[in-house]
Amino acid sequence: MPLICLGLEGTAHSFGAGIVTDSGDVLSNEYDMLKTKEGGIHPRDASRHHAELGPSIINRAIEVAGIDHKDIDIIAFSRGPGLGPCLRATATMARTLSLKLGIPLVDVNHCVAHIEIGCLESKFQDPVTVYVSGGNTQIIAFSGGRFRTFGETLDIAIGNMLDVLGRELGVGFPAGPIVEKMALEGSNFYTLPYSVKGMDLSYSGMLTAAKKLFSDGVDLSDICFSVQETAFGMLAEIAERAIAHTKKNELLLTGGVARNNRLTQILEGVAKRHDVDFHRVSPQLAGDQGAMIAWNGILQYNAGNTLEIKASNVLPKWRTDEQDILWRV
Amino acid sequence: METLALGAESVIFRVSRWGRQLVLKWRQTKPYLLKEIDSQLNKTRTSRECKMLTVARSLGVPTPTVYSVDLLNHTILMDYIEGIQFKQLANTLSSNRLTEICHQFGHLIAVLHRGDMVHGDPTTSNLIVDSKSKLWIVDFGLSEMNATTEMKGVDLHLIRRALETTHWDLEETMLEATLDGYLDTLGDDANDAISRMSEIRERGRYH
Repeated sequence: MPLICLGLEGTAHSFGAGIVTDSGDVLSNEYDMLKTKEGGIHPRDASRHHAELGPSIINRAIEVAGIDHKDIDIIAFSRGPGLGPCLRATATMARTLSLKLGIPLVDVNHCVAHIEIGCLESKFQDPVTVYVSGGNTQIIAFSGGRFRTFGETLDIAIGNMLDVLGRELGVGFPAGPIVEKMALEGSNFYTLPYSVKGMDLSYSGMLTAAKKLFSDGVDLSDICFSVQETAFGMLAEIAERAIAHTKKNELLLTGGVARNNRLTQILEGVAKRHDVDFHRVSPQLAGDQGAMIAWNGILQYNAGNTLEIKASNVLPKWRTDEQDILWRV
Repeated sequence: METLALGAESVIFRVSRWGRQLVLKWRQTKPYLLKEIDSQLNKTRTSRECKMLTVARSLGVPTPTVYSVDLLNHTILMDYIEGIQFKQLANTLSSNRLTEICHQFGHLIAVLHRGDMVHGDPTTSNLIVDSKSKLWIVDFGLSEMNATTEMKGVDLHLIRRALETTHWDLEETMLEATLDGYLDTLGDDANDAISRMSEIRERGRYH
C-alpha cells in the first residue's frame, strides 16, 4: 500500500486540498480562490472563506482521489509564511483531522513546497528556483542543509506589483494575465526605473513611474509592454547572478506568475546562455494548491519530521531558510 | 585569450598585452532581453564601472587599474589581479586570519560609504585576496555615487545576505568582523546605515 498524504494550503487568498502518494502521484488537487471586486485580500475575509469552504473542498479532494477518509496516512498543512488568520483557519482544520483520524501532522513551509513540487515534476535534483507569485519574489537555492534565499524583492512582490498596476489601469484582478495579453499589443518602449541591487531587486520605483505614464495618457498596451520587459529583465538578471554565483545547472520557474509566457521565454534564454536545464512548473502545480503541501508532507514524514499538535502554532513570518531540510541531506 | 569566467552580465577573459596580464570584461548582448533595455544597461554599466573603479581607488580602495574602455562593444581592459576569490578562500583560513580579512572588508566598504559611494554587489565573489594578503574589490557595474543612508543600508544588507547564503557555517564570525571593521572606520557615522540594514531585511516579506 502506498503512503497517502492530504495536504492543506491556506496561506493567502486560496484554500486548497491535495492528495498525493509517496510515489509522487497527484490523486487530486482541489482549490478555491477568494475573489474580491476591487482586488487585494483582507485577511479576515480570506480566513472566513477558508473556514467556510475548507471542509467541502477537503471532501471533494477525497472524492476525486477515489479514496476514503481512513485511507489517509498523513495530514500536512501550510504553517507559514502567510497571513495569520488564514494560516490559523487552515491549521485548525489540519489539527482536527489529525486528531479525528489519529494520523500524524506535518508542518510544511509554503515556499519550500513550491520548490519540491517543481522538483517532483521536472525531476530536477538541485535547481536555482525563481519563485514568483502575488506575495513572493525570491531566488532560492539549496546550500548547507537549507533552502537559502539568494535574492528577493526589497519592497513589493512581482504579482502584487502587477495587481496594483492593474487596479490603477482599471483592468481587473488578478491583473497578471490581462497585463500579459495587453503587452502583446504594445510596441513603444518607455524607459522605467530598473533597480537591481546585488541579487535583490526593487519594483516600487518602476510601479510609480508606470502609474505616471498612465496619468500622462500613454497607451495602456505600451505601459504593459514596458512594465513586463523591465520587471522580467530585472528578474532574469538576478536569476543569472544566482546561477553564476552558485554554479548550479538547473533553473526552475514556479509560483503563480510562472504562467507568464514572456517571463518563461526570457528565462529560457538565461538558461541557454549558462548552459543549464530549464523547467517551468505546469499551471495546475505552479500556483498555491494543496498537492505541493501533500508532497512535501510525504518527504518530511519519510525523514521523520512530524509535529506535535500542542507545538503546532502557525508561523506567519517563517523564512525559507529557517527549516532544516532533513530529506535532502 | 583565456576565458576566466562567465558572469551574470559579462564574460571575463585573461589577455596578455604590453608584457602584462590583463582582464578584458565584455558585456555581451543578450538576445532574450528587449534590445532597448539590453543596450542601455550594457552602455551605462560599462561606463559606470570604468568611472567607479577610478573613484574608488582615489578614495583609497584597491581596485584594478583601467587601461581602456570601448562603449560601443561594451568592453573594459583592466589589470588582472593575481589572487584568489575570498569566497573560495574563506573556508580554508584560520579564524584569526578570517576575522582579519573580514575586518578589512568592512573597512574598505566604510571607506566607500564615507565617500558617499556604494559598491552595489558586495559579495565575497567580488573580493580578491592577492599573494601579499592584500584585499582588492572588483566588479563595480552596480556601484553608485551620491549614496543615501538607504543605499548604504542596502549595501550592508547585501553583505549579510551573501554571508548567510554562501558562508552559512561562518556567518556570525564573518558578519561580526565585517561590521566591526565598518564601525572602527566610521565610528558613530556607521549607526544609521547599520540600523537601516536591519530594517531592510524586514521589508518585502509576506506578513
